[in-house]
Amino acid sequence: MPPRQPASRPSKSRAGKRAPEPPQQYASTDDPRVMLDRQIGALFEPIPPYPTQTEREGEFYTLRDGEMFLNVGPHHPSTHGVLRLVVKLSGEQVVDVDPVLGYLHRGVEKICENSDYYHVIDQVDPLEYVSALFQEWPAVLSFEKLMDVQVPRRAEYIRVLTGELLRISSHILYVGFYALDLGGLTPILYSFIERDEIVEMLAALTGARMLFNYFRIGGVNGDLNHEFMSRLGDWMSRAAKEVESSATLLNENEIFVRRTRDVGVLDRAAALRYGVTGGNLRASGVPFDVRRAHPYSVYPELDFNIPTRDEGDSLARYLIRIDEIRESIKIIDQCLHNMPDGPVMASLPRLIRPRPGRAWAAVEGPRGMLGVYTISDGSDQPFRFRIHDPSLLNLETLPALATGHLLADTMTIIASLDPVMGGIDK
Amino acid sequence: MTSASPRRPDVRGLINASIRFAKTFPREFWGRLSVPERVAFLLVPLAMGAAIVTVIAIFWLGGPVVDFLGANLPLVRFAVAGTAILLLTVPTAFVLIYLELKVIARMNLRVGPNRVGPWGAAMSVIHGLKVLTKEDFAPTGADITIFTLAPVVTYMASVMTLLVIPFAPGLIGQDLNVGLLYFFAMGGLTVVGLLMAGWSSFNKYSLLGGLRSAAQIISYEIPLTLSVVGVILLAGTMSMNRIVLAQSGSAFDWFVFKQPLAWIIFFIAATAEANRTPFDMTEADSEIVAGFATEYSGMRFGFFFFAEYVNVFIVSALAATLFFGGWTAPFNWPWTYNLNWFHPLEMGFGPWLAIVAFVLVVAPQILGILVMLFGRGWTYVQASVLGALFTLVAVVGLVALAGFIAFDWVQGLFWFMFKTYVFVVTFVWMRATLPRVRVDQLMGFAWKWLLPASLVNLFVTATAVVLLNR
Repeated sequence: MPPRQPASRPSKSRAGKRAPEPPQQYASTDDPRVMLDRQIGALFEPIPPYPTQTEREGEFYTLRDGEMFLNVGPHHPSTHGVLRLVVKLSGEQVVDVDPVLGYLHRGVEKICENSDYYHVIDQVDPLEYVSALFQEWPAVLSFEKLMDVQVPRRAEYIRVLTGELLRISSHILYVGFYALDLGGLTPILYSFIERDEIVEMLAALTGARMLFNYFRIGGVNGDLNHEFMSRLGDWMSRAAKEVESSATLLNENEIFVRRTRDVGVLDRAAALRYGVTGGNLRASGVPFDVRRAHPYSVYPELDFNIPTRDEGDSLARYLIRIDEIRESIKIIDQCLHNMPDGPVMASLPRLIRPRPGRAWAAVEGPRGMLGVYTISDGSDQPFRFRIHDPSLLNLETLPALATGHLLADTMTIIASLDPVMGGIDK
Repeated sequence: MTSASPRRPDVRGLINASIRFAKTFPREFWGRLSVPERVAFLLVPLAMGAAIVTVIAIFWLGGPVVDFLGANLPLVRFAVAGTAILLLTVPTAFVLIYLELKVIARMNLRVGPNRVGPWGAAMSVIHGLKVLTKEDFAPTGADITIFTLAPVVTYMASVMTLLVIPFAPGLIGQDLNVGLLYFFAMGGLTVVGLLMAGWSSFNKYSLLGGLRSAAQIISYEIPLTLSVVGVILLAGTMSMNRIVLAQSGSAFDWFVFKQPLAWIIFFIAATAEANRTPFDMTEADSEIVAGFATEYSGMRFGFFFFAEYVNVFIVSALAATLFFGGWTAPFNWPWTYNLNWFHPLEMGFGPWLAIVAFVLVVAPQILGILVMLFGRGWTYVQASVLGALFTLVAVVGLVALAGFIAFDWVQGLFWFMFKTYVFVVTFVWMRATLPRVRVDQLMGFAWKWLLPASLVNLFVTATAVVLLNR
């Protein structure tokens, strides 16, 4: 840029008529468009603006011949929230994937450490926003362990009942979004019919459709009411049939089966090494379910199976969900038959100050093991509140699973892993 | 200082305003227009002027002009047909968009559009207007010329294929003797537009979409064309009109019964050719956002959108023409009726007055009285209005029925549209039902299954034609 001459500065009145300055000339190239491409390319390439920090990062951000980066997300139709992927492509084949997290980070753990024990419950609700009760459950479980509270049996049954309802609604939504990511428009709307019915009956019970804030330390907030029970009975009379008929649209669809079979195969050893839990682990042949492995609540009294499959591919992960819906319907049936009478809340002081100590509690959510580790220092706020989220560990397998497949399979795999970004980013 | 009196016009003010307008016009108005808007701003007054001059010229030089047009009748026919087809595409696209919105909504157990117009029927028109009024945006780094031309190429490729589709006996743009060849040549141009859009958008999603469309459409062009060769062999011609005539008679003369394998191949390949689910790889929204159309907005996107639906119509029309007898009736139509006894111009004043009075007064009143008798408490005015509406419907229905009975081309148009829209609804149905295939499965299917099958079909058909000497 040549130094600007004072004489050539335009007067104010003629500013509008003055021709714009000629573009900067590039000595290195004849065609200015090449340079433009390079400039804009540098702007839009997802290359970090800092020198690479680790060996893996350096390797990832080095392009070999014929490769390109594709920035998928955080606003993309099928990254389930605000997940951002930097995909390294060779043609349409995925060479490497770098998930970029943190777009939804709110520091919930720290917020919880600054709230008292009662307020933690509604702080953790939005983390698992598809099935919020499963995030409340481990929190109240760990607090109850800290305080040695005996929860009334009716409250435990209500927790299992509502939890299994939400598990069904979450799995049904999973099926719908899975199909949507594969290009099927209709299953998502059929899914929402069932989910809406479940959510409405829970709203009759808890007052909220999404973030319920229903579990309490030592019980639940409010007993079962008439509207909930009538809606539940109505729905249960047709649930099994509806679920089967919705599943038929995909189960026997040749295109769906061919797109999911042998895509993103997660073998048993890798699944255990990554710490994958939930349906994704059981689809790889490991019959691990917190409800059976580390029983909590009244699950030991209930009769249900733990479906497993050996394939470990995206189709198996889908079919496991369908099987789990059937098992959940069985559990709800038993809950309704075995529901005892009695109070739904243990009597507790208005202000909770547990003894100093530590407690770990975990439940089996729709996506895997949701755990909470609480350290109490004797005050009315948790000293440390650590949330273990299964979606994060499930999503960590994505680069290994997607590498070597096509770009379209990346979306299949994300959908089959079923991440919820609220819990991942916390 | 003198102020302008109220009687005298404020000349100085007017001049100042004019000067101010002339000064600010380039910056305030012209500078804000986009390139297409500038072109339109120049062309629209020119076109209006030309139209006025033409009308005056026709009145002034009527005789010579008529002679000139009569001497160049094929040229005139071509111009008229081209204009008519270009004008036909827009309402067709509107109807198809509304149909898809409504049918998919029903299949999804939704209501669909129901706010604009009766049953939401004006929804697609409103969509079109919305697209027209949107900002004409081009991303930084895009190659503006190609970026602007791409939708035009795609749209024109779609429109020009309509020229050889026989809608009814006599209702065909140009009855080319190489009609089918022309159809595939023009249809193949679509991919050029998509590739241009994908390349010029300066977006990797667009690029992937453009390359996918190139791979897909070129791959499926081959089985599509080969599957049709059997039909050409049977009909002995490539003229679309004569292919239709070769299937006249009953439904069992349709080529779908003589070429069932070709029909299956054709249908699959045509779905891919029209970029419809399950082969809508080029705009797979869950993978590559919107494919080649990612960076498009405003009317440039509108052209792509219209072209897609026009393509659906064209592919359905081609399926109906080649395999389902085009405009011929599915059974031998015995009830032709002659309207020769009806001479509206020589009827005289009395019968005309009777007809007009009956349609305008008597029939609405009779129907209105019926409405008042059997309806749920309508007032007289409401009943009259309803009666008039019923009469209108009845008259339109009667006229259509009379036309259907009396004129070949009305019958032909009815059957053609009926068959075409059956396929259109089938495409919509597939979109509501099926997920999308993967790009490698798509290509493998074309080259490993469809191409050999179409070759086998061609071989068998050719052998049969030679052996049976037909």
